[in-house]
Order: sequence, then structure tokens, then C-alpha cells
Amino acid sequence: MLLVALTVTGVINRTRAVLAGRKGLRFFQHVMDISVLLRKGAVYSDVTGTLFRIAPCVYLGASLLALLFVPVADLDPLLSFHGDVVLVAYLLALSRVALILAALDTGSSFEGMGASREALYGALIEPAIMLAMATLAMFCGYSSLADIFSTARSLDVNLTIVMLLLGYVFIKIMFVEAGRVPVDDPRTHLELTMVHEVMCLDFSGIDLAMIHIGGWLKNAVMAVIAADAVAVAVCFRWEFAAPAAVLLAGLSVGITESLRARNKLARNTTYILTVTAMSALVLFVGYLLMKNIEIV
Amino acid sequence: MYPYLILFAAMAVAALFASPKHHKVWVAAAIVTALAAAAAVVAVEALCGGEVVLAEFSTAMFGAERLAVDRLSALFLLIIAVASVATVIYSKGYAEHYLARSSSAHVALHYTSLVTLVGSMMTVVVSGGGFSFLMAWELMTIASFLLILFEAERREVRRAALNYLVMMHIGFIFLVIGFVAVYDATGSASFDALGEYFRLHAPLPVIVVFIVGFGMKAGMFPMHVWLPEAHPAAPSHVSAIMSGVMIKTGIYGILRVAAEIESVEMLSTVGIIILFAGIVTGLWGVILAAVENDMKRLLAYSSIENIGVILIGMGIAYIGRAAGNDLVAMCGMCGALLHAVNHSLFKTLLFFGAGNIYSAMHSTSLDEMGGLSRHMPVTALLMIVATVAICALPPLNGFVSELLIYLGMFNGVGEGGEVLYSVAAIIALSLIGGVVVLAFTKLYGIVFLGSPRSTHVAECTEVDNCRIAAMALPAAMILIIGLLPQYAVRPVVEVASGIIGGDYATAMEHFTPVLSTLSAIGFALLAVVALLYVLKRRAQSKRTVSSSPTWGCGFTAVNTRMQYTGESYSEGLENIATSLTQNTVDGRTIDKGEIFPSQHSYDVHHKDKIDRLFAAWWVELMHRINVGVMRLRTGKINHYIMYALALLAAVMLLTLLNLL
Repeated sequence: MLLVALTVTGVINRTRAVLAGRKGLRFFQHVMDISVLLRKGAVYSDVTGTLFRIAPCVYLGASLLALLFVPVADLDPLLSFHGDVVLVAYLLALSRVALILAALDTGSSFEGMGASREALYGALIEPAIMLAMATLAMFCGYSSLADIFSTARSLDVNLTIVMLLLGYVFIKIMFVEAGRVPVDDPRTHLELTMVHEVMCLDFSGIDLAMIHIGGWLKNAVMAVIAADAVAVAVCFRWEFAAPAAVLLAGLSVGITESLRARNKLARNTTYILTVTAMSALVLFVGYLLMKNIEIV
Repeated sequence: MYPYLILFAAMAVAALFASPKHHKVWVAAAIVTALAAAAAVVAVEALCGGEVVLAEFSTAMFGAERLAVDRLSALFLLIIAVASVATVIYSKGYAEHYLARSSSAHVALHYTSLVTLVGSMMTVVVSGGGFSFLMAWELMTIASFLLILFEAERREVRRAALNYLVMMHIGFIFLVIGFVAVYDATGSASFDALGEYFRLHAPLPVIVVFIVGFGMKAGMFPMHVWLPEAHPAAPSHVSAIMSGVMIKTGIYGILRVAAEIESVEMLSTVGIIILFAGIVTGLWGVILAAVENDMKRLLAYSSIENIGVILIGMGIAYIGRAAGNDLVAMCGMCGALLHAVNHSLFKTLLFFGAGNIYSAMHSTSLDEMGGLSRHMPVTALLMIVATVAICALPPLNGFVSELLIYLGMFNGVGEGGEVLYSVAAIIALSLIGGVVVLAFTKLYGIVFLGSPRSTHVAECTEVDNCRIAAMALPAAMILIIGLLPQYAVRPVVEVASGIIGGDYATAMEHFTPVLSTLSAIGFALLAVVALLYVLKRRAQSKRTVSSSPTWGCGFTAVNTRMQYTGESYSEGLENIATSLTQNTVDGRTIDKGEIFPSQHSYDVHHKDKIDRLFAAWWVELMHRINVGVMRLRTGKINHYIMYALALLAAVMLLTLLNLL
């Protein structure tokens, strides 16, 4: 899992570089950056209080715990219980809240802007996540990630179709959650089109490092779930699923970022609602297929 | 029994009126604590050993009546007990600065109403139905009406209070119709007789009448409009007890009525009605909460949203019961009941916090706040607990109840029985969960964080210890339920098994592993965060840590007016949800052509579209009729005698013609 988290960003950068015809950064350049950040001191804004200093810890802590529930194909997660799908989604929400409040604590209009957008997009993407999880639960009759993916192994055609579709939906959700093009562009934070990056403007040193690591972990959670869905359909082995997660997430994000520009801000809500609608569509396709199975 | 009760009430009122002005609060506190302690004892007894009968007597109108505590009553008694004790302690600090300018009788009336409200709420939940229930229900309405009127010299307060009184009586009429219909058919108006009625007659009309009647109190869509009017008008401790506890009596009523339904088809219909009422109520409440820029109105809308969540849980439970799925039924009902408990805790806490801010700032408008956490650190700390809890985030109590409801829904989806309803509820609940985060990060962020938006903020100081103590009580309960849910859920499961008919042991078998893992995760989360924080501080202690102004992206003349306001924070949502509100704008925005903008003032007000329903043609019609009827009031005694004579003649004529 941790390896996945570490390598996804590398693959993204490399894909982008290759597609743009550049040589690109070193593969682990982002890890180097973090290790530099971890060795630095910090500058805090006068306006901020204790909450601002605790927020990065909450962000990282919540992402870390969320990671513990996600299985990598046949590799069982460290923790699991009925309903942990809800907990994972809400832990990610907790990390979001921590960052939003920290951003508001700086009193900067830029960060307020980012916070406002993040809160809205987070609210709109939540149903998509839950619907995708509900589809999984519908097929497997369980509501814990570990059980879902371990019972879903029986390969029948309908399940394969639905799982592939779900993988697609999860990748889309990852775009939104991780603040990637076309919803948000992590490369800029000095324009009026920013969401996630702008909220971290006032963090420095260790705090910034924590937020970056937390971001990778969140990314990895979604990437691995997507890869699991695909792995169920194709080949259910962790040797397959882990690289699949990296490649799926890395290539899709890298290619999207190279090929298209970021959305106009007003179109973002439409985009996110489309993802939700797709999620609902997959659920209904799955529902119909399942009914069909029962009749035959 | 009776004479003692009357004697106790009379003594309480006498003590409240006779005691010196500054000590009235202690008298009230003593009475409320006594009531709460008695209620708690009875409740615990009922939870452990089953029904406790308090009194049985007969009335002239409705036949035999009884006051008894079963498990459901016990749960609500506990909710009332905790919140009312916190409320009366809080009022000591909050009402302090009103004491100087109010008369002694005024204060006495306020506390008498408070005590009456607590007493009547307790009677409502122990009453077996019929006359005693309606009596207590009406007493509850009147007491809360008087409580809202505390600052009766303000015009908007009188307006809101009257509005409340009228709405509550419309609801009351529905309840009277319901009970009379039952009495007419069975000869008794108790809740037990309802079951008999449902067996003999078509139950749906009466159920709908009851749901409307109770829904009015609970703030169910579209009868929620009184809540956002009444709460800003009432003093904060009154808002706290009304929003935290009183609206739950509506939920209690619906639970009682639905518990008597036996036929499976009926239960499924009622479940669907309640589920969709819950979905609409929840979404409507949360979206309006998010666009609202007044602290107390925001909290009022969030109460509506929480009622929606409770109703969703109940709906899932009834649908699950009807489908014969015990686990879904238990999950939904436990979630709903636990959410009722949880909401009573964090909503009282939030209203107390709002009260602290109001008494320091003399305003509830979000856009005058900012940076209050530096001036009121303890309030800020307690409020962050409430904020995280109401956003249903782990590791606090709001998450536990929503998790249980989700479990029910996922189970419903997994079993394949009632997929579509469960999916509708999942979409609604997750969207509610998302938007509630927006609403409450807005509340907390705009009020406590950032830099001040007005000069008043600098004058704020932390409130007195009385209020802090009152706030610590619900905060502690929030932490206990959040961190040790496997123990806290037990009484709730027991209550739920009583009314929904699931098995206690099976449900606990299912919940215990889930909740104990959750508890472990809660502690782990706290530990991880603390560890990271300590490690960070240690690493930083050896390095240079400096402070400087917030990074302005190269712009150096940043001022606090440039901060995001509440309005701008929720603008994105407003653009989507335009059809729900009616916006009125004062002033205008800066034109594109203005290169050097002059001074502008811009003020947006959001009005609930449903408000229009109560300011529409039929209100106009009522007004016309009133004007017409007022013409009869001539002020001449001979005319009045003629009216009386005309009435008598009409009655006689009708009797003669056998029409009456």
C-alpha cells in the first residue's frame, strides 16, 4: 500500500513528461522533496491558532487510518468490520474538514476560496462514493471492503462488466478527491481556478510534508479500490493488483493532465454530478443484471 | 397522587415567584434537577426491569388514563433529563445581564415556564395517550411560547412567538382529530387503543393525521417554517432545549403510533412515507442551513436536517420490518434512536455556544464575526467538539448513529430485498453528510477562525464558569458515546428491540464487533494525531519557527474585509440550489465597467421558498374574512345580544329540522 502511495505520483510525473516529450523529473523526486521539507523549520501566519498546527496531523492521521481498511486484492487489510466502507469515506471527509478549517484559519481570501470549493466538491462527490460502495455491497451482500473483494472472486460475465465499470467510476472519483485535472490543477496555485493546492499556501516545512503525504495516501486509497475492482474482473492476485493500482491511477491521471485543460470552474459541479450520475447508472445496471441472473 | 402533584406544582411556582430575583435560577435549578433525578431513576428502572406504572386514573372525557414508563419513554426521559439540567445551569450565566432590566415577575414567569416545559415534556413521554397526553402537549406548547417571548419588547420576537403558537395549534388540531377518531371507534383514546383501531378500520388516514400533527412539532417538511423563525427570537438556552429536546417529542409521537401498526403492508406504506418525508426534510434542511448567514437560523435548519436523518433511519427500519429483515429493522431503528440522543447533545451544545457568542457580540450575523477563538478559547474548543460531532465524523457520536443507519441501508441493498429505497436513502444521507460539512465548516470557520470582521470582536471575553460547566455536560456525553459506542448503544438496542420487534441478542451480536472496532479506531485516531503532533513539535523545537503575516500571493495591502464571508463561502452551493430559496438583494455589486470602484454595499437575504406557502392566497383570504367578521364587532351591547339570540334561534331551527 505504502509503495503504491509512493509510486503513483512518480508515474504521473513520468507519463506527463513522456507525453510532453520532456525527459522529466527523477522518478522519486517527490519523495526527495518531502524529505527536504521534513528537515525544514516552519513559518506560521500571525492569524492562525492551535487548530492550524494540529490540522496537518489530523489530515495525515485520518488518511493513514483509512488506508488500513483497504485490501490489495487477496492481501487482507489490517482492519475490517461490517460497514467499514462508511468509515473509510468519513475518514477521508474528516481529513478534508481538517484542511478546510485550517485554510479558513489563515483569514486569507485565497484560502477561503479554496476551502469553499473543496467543501462543495466534497459534498457533491460523497453520494458517488457511497453509490459505488452500495453497488459492491449489493453484489456481495457485505459492507466491509475485505469481505466484498474476497467474495466477489467468482468470475461471471455480468460481475466482470460491473466491476470494470466500477473501476472506471472509482478512477473518476479519484480525480475529484485528489484534486486533479479536470477538476483542479495541482500545478498552479496562483490563479483564480484553484482548489486543493491553494488551501496549503500557508503551510510550510513539516506541515506541508504531512499534507503531501496525506494526499498521496488518500490517492492510494482510491487507486487501490479501483484496482481491486478491476482485479476482481481480471486476475485476483496482489502481485497484479498493486501494480495495476499504480498504473491505472498514474497513467489515467498523467494522460488526462497532458491531453486536456482543466474545467472552467462553473463546469466543475456539473462534472462531479455527472460522476455521481454515472455511479448511480452503474448501480442500476448492476441491479438489472442481478435481477436477470435470478430469473434465469 | 393527584393532590401531592398539585401541591408540588403550587409550591414550585410559589417558590419561584417569592424568591429574590437573583436566586430564582437556583430554585429553578433545584426543581429541574429533582425532576431530572426522579426521571432518571424511573428511566433506569424501566430500562432494567420493564414497564413502571406511575399513575392510573379516570377522566370524564376520555375514560381511563395511565402514566407509565416503558423503555421508549425511558430513553426520551433520559434525553430530557440531561438537556434540561444543562439548560437551567446555562441560563444562570446567560440570563445574568437581563436581570438588571427585567422585573422580578418577568424572571419568575420565565423560570416557571422553563420548569413547566420540562415537566410537561416528561409527562408527554410517560403518558399512555388520550387526554393526559393532549393536556401535557398543549402545556408544552404554551410554556415554550412564553419562553420564546422572553424579550417581548422586540417586535420580531412577538411575531415569531405568535407564528409558533399558531403553527403548533394547527398541529394540535390534527392530534385532537386523530385521538377523537380513535376514541370514537374504540371508546378509549390511549395509544394501546390505536392498535385495536388499526385492526378494525382503514388505518392510513389516521396515521397520516398523526404524522402531520407530530410532524408539525418535529419540524418535518413542509411544516418546518416555524423553527428558523422561533430560534433566533428565543434566548439561547430556550433554543437549546426546544431544538435539542422538544422537537423530539414529535419523533416520539410518530414512534408510538407506528409501534401499534401490525399489518405488514401498512407498515411498509408508513415506512415509505416516513422515509421520503425524511429525505426531503433532511436535504431541504441541510441546504438551507448551508446558505444561511445567521448563526441561530443556521442551527435551526440543521435541526430540521437532523430530524430528517432520524426519519430516514425510522423509514428504513419500518421498510425492513415489513420485508421481514430483522437486521435492517434493528440497524435503522437503533440508528434513528441513537441519532435522536446524539442530536439532543450536540445541538444543545451548539446553541449554548451560539448563546455565548450572542451575549459577547450582541449579534448572530456570521459576517460580523471572525477570529473569536482567540478571545473565547474554551467556547471554541467545545464548539469544535460539537462541530465534528454534528458533521458525523469519526471519532465522535454523530458518526456512530449514522453508521448504524448506513449499516441498515447497506444490509438492505446486500440482501436485495428493498434495494431501491435503500439506494434512495443512501444518496440522500451521503449528500446530507457532505453538505452538513459545508454548513458547519462555514459556521465554525467564519465565527472562530480567521481575522475579525468587525471591531466588536476585540471586546469579547470568555464566558463565566457556569455556562462552561453547562456546556461540558453534553460535550462529555458526546465523547463517551463517540469513543465507547459498544456500551452506549446497549440501552438503545434494548429500546429498539421493544418497538420494532427485533431480537436484542442477535442485534448486539452484530453490533458489538463493529462498534468495538470503531471505538478502537477512535482511540487510535486520537493517538496517531497526538503522536504526529508531538513528533512535529519535537522536530520543530530545534529549528527556526517564525511567524509572519498570512501569505497574500504578492499582494501586500491585505485587509480583513477581503476575507471570505459566510455568503461567499456557500456561494457555489447557492448557485446550484437557487430553486430552494428566494433571494432578495440590497445594494448592488460592482459593475464590470467600474475601473475604480466606488463604495458599495451588498446584502443578500435568503428566504425559504416554503415560507411563501404561508404567505400565499389563503393567508390573504383569512385576512379578508377577518376584516369582514370584524365588522360585526360594533361595540354596542344590543347588537351582541342580538347575535346571541340569532345563534340560539339557529340552533333551535336546526334541531327542529333534525339537522344537528
